[in-house]
Amino acid sequence: MNNFNKLIVSLVLLVSVNNFAQEYKFGKVSKEELLETSYPTDSSANAAVLYENKKIYYDYNQSYGFRLITEVYKRVKFYNQKGFENASEEVFLYKSGGSKEEVSSLKGVTYSLIDNKIVQTKLKKEGVFEDEYSENRNQLKFTMPSLTEGSIVEFKYKIISPFIYNIDKIYLQQKIPIKKLEVKVAMPEYFNFKKNMTGYLPIDLKDSRGSGKIAFNTKSGAGRYGGVNTVSRNEIDYTININTITASNVPAFKVEPYCGNSDNYLSSIVYELQFERYPNRPIKHYSTTWEAVAKSIFNHPKFGGELKKNNYFKEEVDQIIGKTSDPTRRTALLYNFVKNKMTWNRKYGSITRDGVKKAYKEGVGNSAEINIMLISMLDYAGVDVKPVLVSSIRRTISLFPTLEGFDYVVARVKLDKNILYLDATDKYGEPNVLPDRVIHGSGRVIAENGTSQLVNFRPNKVSRIHHSISCQLSKEGTIKGKQSTNRSSYLAHNFRTKHGVKENEDQVKRIQKTYELENIGSYELNGVKDIGKAVSERFEFNIDDGIEVIDDEMFFSPLLFLRSGENIFKSDEREYPVDFGYGYSRSVMLNIKIPEGYEIVEAPKGSAFKLPENMGNFVYRSSVIGDSIQISVTETLSTPFVPANYYPVLKQFYDQIVQKEGEQVVLKKV
Amino acid sequence: MQNKTLRYFVVVTLLIFFKVATAQEKPELQISRIDSALTQNANAVVRSEEVIVEINSINSVTTKTKRIVTVLNKDGKGYADSYEPYSSSVKIKKIEATVYDAKGNEIKKYKKKDFNDISAYDEFSLMNDNRVKYFEYTPLGYPYTLVYESEVETTSTAFIEPWIPILTYRLSVEKSSFKILNPTSISIRLKETNFDGFSIESNKIGQEVSYSISNVSAKVKEAYSPSFYDLVPVAKVALDEFSLEGVEGAATDWKSFGKWQFDELLSGRDELPEETIKKVSELVATAKTNKEKAKLIYQYVQDKTRYVSVQLGIGGWMPFLASDVDRLGYGDCKALTNYTKALLDSQDIPSYYAVVYGDRNKRDIDSEFASMQGNHVILNIPEEDEDLWLECTSQTMPFNFIGDFTDNRNVLIVTPEGGKIKKTKKYEPEENILKTTANVNLKIDKSMTADIERVSEGLEYSWNSGIQFETTKDQKLEYKEFWGYINALAINEIKLNDDKDVIKFTENIKVSSPSYTKKVGSRLLVTPNLFGCDQSNLPKYENRKTSMVISRGYVNTDEYIINLPKGYTFKSLPQKKSIETEFGQYMYELEEITESQIKFKRFLKIIDGTFPKEKYEEYRKFRSDIKKIDQTKIVLNQL
Repeated sequence: MNNFNKLIVSLVLLVSVNNFAQEYKFGKVSKEELLETSYPTDSSANAAVLYENKKIYYDYNQSYGFRLITEVYKRVKFYNQKGFENASEEVFLYKSGGSKEEVSSLKGVTYSLIDNKIVQTKLKKEGVFEDEYSENRNQLKFTMPSLTEGSIVEFKYKIISPFIYNIDKIYLQQKIPIKKLEVKVAMPEYFNFKKNMTGYLPIDLKDSRGSGKIAFNTKSGAGRYGGVNTVSRNEIDYTININTITASNVPAFKVEPYCGNSDNYLSSIVYELQFERYPNRPIKHYSTTWEAVAKSIFNHPKFGGELKKNNYFKEEVDQIIGKTSDPTRRTALLYNFVKNKMTWNRKYGSITRDGVKKAYKEGVGNSAEINIMLISMLDYAGVDVKPVLVSSIRRTISLFPTLEGFDYVVARVKLDKNILYLDATDKYGEPNVLPDRVIHGSGRVIAENGTSQLVNFRPNKVSRIHHSISCQLSKEGTIKGKQSTNRSSYLAHNFRTKHGVKENEDQVKRIQKTYELENIGSYELNGVKDIGKAVSERFEFNIDDGIEVIDDEMFFSPLLFLRSGENIFKSDEREYPVDFGYGYSRSVMLNIKIPEGYEIVEAPKGSAFKLPENMGNFVYRSSVIGDSIQISVTETLSTPFVPANYYPVLKQFYDQIVQKEGEQVVLKKV
Repeated sequence: MQNKTLRYFVVVTLLIFFKVATAQEKPELQISRIDSALTQNANAVVRSEEVIVEINSINSVTTKTKRIVTVLNKDGKGYADSYEPYSSSVKIKKIEATVYDAKGNEIKKYKKKDFNDISAYDEFSLMNDNRVKYFEYTPLGYPYTLVYESEVETTSTAFIEPWIPILTYRLSVEKSSFKILNPTSISIRLKETNFDGFSIESNKIGQEVSYSISNVSAKVKEAYSPSFYDLVPVAKVALDEFSLEGVEGAATDWKSFGKWQFDELLSGRDELPEETIKKVSELVATAKTNKEKAKLIYQYVQDKTRYVSVQLGIGGWMPFLASDVDRLGYGDCKALTNYTKALLDSQDIPSYYAVVYGDRNKRDIDSEFASMQGNHVILNIPEEDEDLWLECTSQTMPFNFIGDFTDNRNVLIVTPEGGKIKKTKKYEPEENILKTTANVNLKIDKSMTADIERVSEGLEYSWNSGIQFETTKDQKLEYKEFWGYINALAINEIKLNDDKDVIKFTENIKVSSPSYTKKVGSRLLVTPNLFGCDQSNLPKYENRKTSMVISRGYVNTDEYIINLPKGYTFKSLPQKKSIETEFGQYMYELEEITESQIKFKRFLKIIDGTFPKEKYEEYRKFRSDIKKIDQTKIVLNQL
């Protein structure tokens, strides 16, 4: 099992128990709380949530049926003025068709200690704003009045939603610490939800049961025959499944570099409806198993329905594949056709929006439209192809069978024993070289019969960058030389995506800037357009001041401007994994000719070190041949995904590299 | 994957332009018709733009726009992302767009209903009532051309759209024209800036004005260049009688414009509850001078209020009532300034509302052209010998300290007698001081430990003191980034002291690195400038076009005592180096204290100013020489 899958499993197993002492009631803010000047376990916190309570439940009324109610109660403490930015709350309210979510019973109070007395200020209408945010969302915002350093605010409100199947994601961690958190989700037996948890913190979730009653009136008697109507009151008892989550001293969440989608590591819980089961009615499934998820999406008109369409492209595809029968060739032809014809509108989606036909006609589509089109064409051409549902970098990775977890589609093709993943939204893409938005996510390949399988897009093979420099030092301490750089696979893709369309003039400026080189000449760039091949750059350089001349000696790092000057990791510790997306190997070969009349006094010695479990290694070789120094360096990180417990060694690995590459050559005048 | 398979996928990408519809063809839009001089350095070309401003009455102005833009590459897409803001006082009467391909074939048409409608978030307001209509187009390839037409009517005639034909860098202009039609009796005023050097045709007949410009090639941004609007032609327009969200006014100069602002937008909004006045009177009772009193009041405001921006209707221009701020404890810049002013008034300390462009890049209120200008408000207290300036939206800034957000620029002072232009405080290079001292211990095992003290004053205070508000983890990261050239730097202790009375920020930091010095054989190589290495990287220009602006000067000094590793000493120390230029001075010096202890001294003064474009290269050389000297190494030998 690779690291990535291990992580997913370990996340599910983390459960622990916490106990609480203090009771929190609206309006009962204590003087001690107001006097507190810093958060006990994190003195650098500007504000903290002292208490948050969320109750999510259903109520029933005969006229509108079930409604989903979310009650929020929060108590927030401000240790200093920088914390005041947490004094405003923002609530998004979904609307669709004629239905919409509404907020009621909003109440807020600010408490401040003035002359040793607790002064309360109420939130009034003037501090509450409602706005139409977009077509499907309204927004309610409020900001608390009369804050001073040390103030505490309390607010509570209720969201009433007719969208009973959508419980919003519940965050169990925030940008500021949470002292105590209590969440209660109560679901009538008629609705069965799956839970999907994320984060590196243990989540203490307890199950319990309660009961509820549905009261309704029925009319009997038959008016038609002139009889008298009798109204009778009926009650149905039902079971309520209750989840209680409690947590205390939840640390503030911090985004770290190289982490893909940081939301994957933020503690949260998502509820997704699996099935609905009313008495005396058949069960209605939404999703339960991967098989059900796969089947339900194949039945979805905007997925399965779209996959089946092929009339719109038949003519053109027949022409393109012509007489070729080899499936590999057919795949290449069709993949390139869709890639060139279609432009991605930067919209994510696992289902189509305007449909494949319209997308095909206009040449523009979302990720589902473009890749469903590709999949149908390949299928039409007899290639073994299957759709892959993807949780992109934007979506929290889904650990349980759920449709909600996906927001993107790519294609998987089997050619003999080779498996190719194809994404035609990416003009610079190539088979098995997918854009960042896909590799930092995860996927699930699905088949119409319901079988499915988890896919990790992070490649097993490393992508390479190779630099080679040949240069000559002068007696004055200047350096003149040539460099060539080759990038392959993901590194080539990355280069094309970032710098592909730039003019040579801008490429030269980029090199001048990154290497701090003033004089660059004979720049050449090859392979940018030959997708699938390496990208190579060449240039000549002159450096006037790259060498430290002290008395009759010269000192310099033989890696010159290619030396790693800084560790990319600066944090002392890390709570969650490092996700590079793909492994890499960076190699440098240098041949440095020393000036006449000088001899080599010191040169760095060869050395090698590695990361545990073959996650990476570094090799430095040096040799002196006549009047030349030859250096070869290889730095390899073979694992794209490094778990947090390896962070200290990873950081140290890069420290050692920086140190080794900074070692000096000393030349002395003979 | 095997190479054999891959081979088929190696194809030169042809960005084929599929002809979608043959509905309409406009040969005049063909890309081939653009002069090559206009495509050089350009991301987009304005093929033609016609703006007609019709003044209908004091509360109605109609602006008709027809713009044709050819987008050359993906970076130019933003120039054709046409959107139209609107609000209760701005109505969109017509809006439509058509996209054409490089050959002039119509690709797609957007009618009013195809435009998206969203709230116009400005990222800092809690709420505002402005909205935007925009359309989304995914380019199928480049170049393409967008034809955009709109007609917008505004009732707030205090703003008349200025003519800025060259809107931004890397945009060239084939043709652009602007016309004002004014059948009313309201006089219009105009101000033309930077027309020199551009071939602009202008026509003024009676109350009608028109401008046109053609064939302007794209400009490229250069480091240390003047602000963009100082480089391109701008024609500002204002009406002598105007309306702002229903509030009418008349003005011809700053005096009358300021008078209107005072009477209509400020006056009568300063009443305070008796209780508050009493509290403030007690607060300042023992203070002797107005300045001392003002300082106490500023502190009072800082403790009591916070910045929250709400821009609704005339509320975008008129402050909340002072009594509301008193009650709610928050407000925007207008409200908090008005509140502070009201508190000062209650103690008979005169102060004025000052309208300013708040931005690190200095921008003046145009002293010669009275119109609605500025995006921020601060408070001016005219003392006999000096002007005091208060930034009322900050809870943390020291008294009478405005930092680089509103320094050294023209502002409009709004007084009951009318408006006048004043310049805010300029921070001279000698006032902006960063002094770094350190005691450094080097060890035989290449490691280094140091106790560093950094003291910041003036603008250095505003540049460096923000770190106190970050979490410890972020503070450590920030120091590690700042001294990123020191490998494996550990930040062991941070002590910060913010003395707001004298406006001085002191950082005491203990650091260490396991491998600071470099071992070469039996010797050690040391860079004595541990904490003050210049990290600038200025680009070189073959043919610089714009003059060079150093917007703010400063003085940085460094002094470290370096204790050498036990058993090591130096043979010689490098000579003292100094460079003197018109941009500033630099000095680098190493002194022997004992054979195992040396002193490092560095001085850098940068002087602000505007210099001719030829001087840029000299400045670049100055900085690059500094950078090289900063990295000087010394060799230590074993005794």
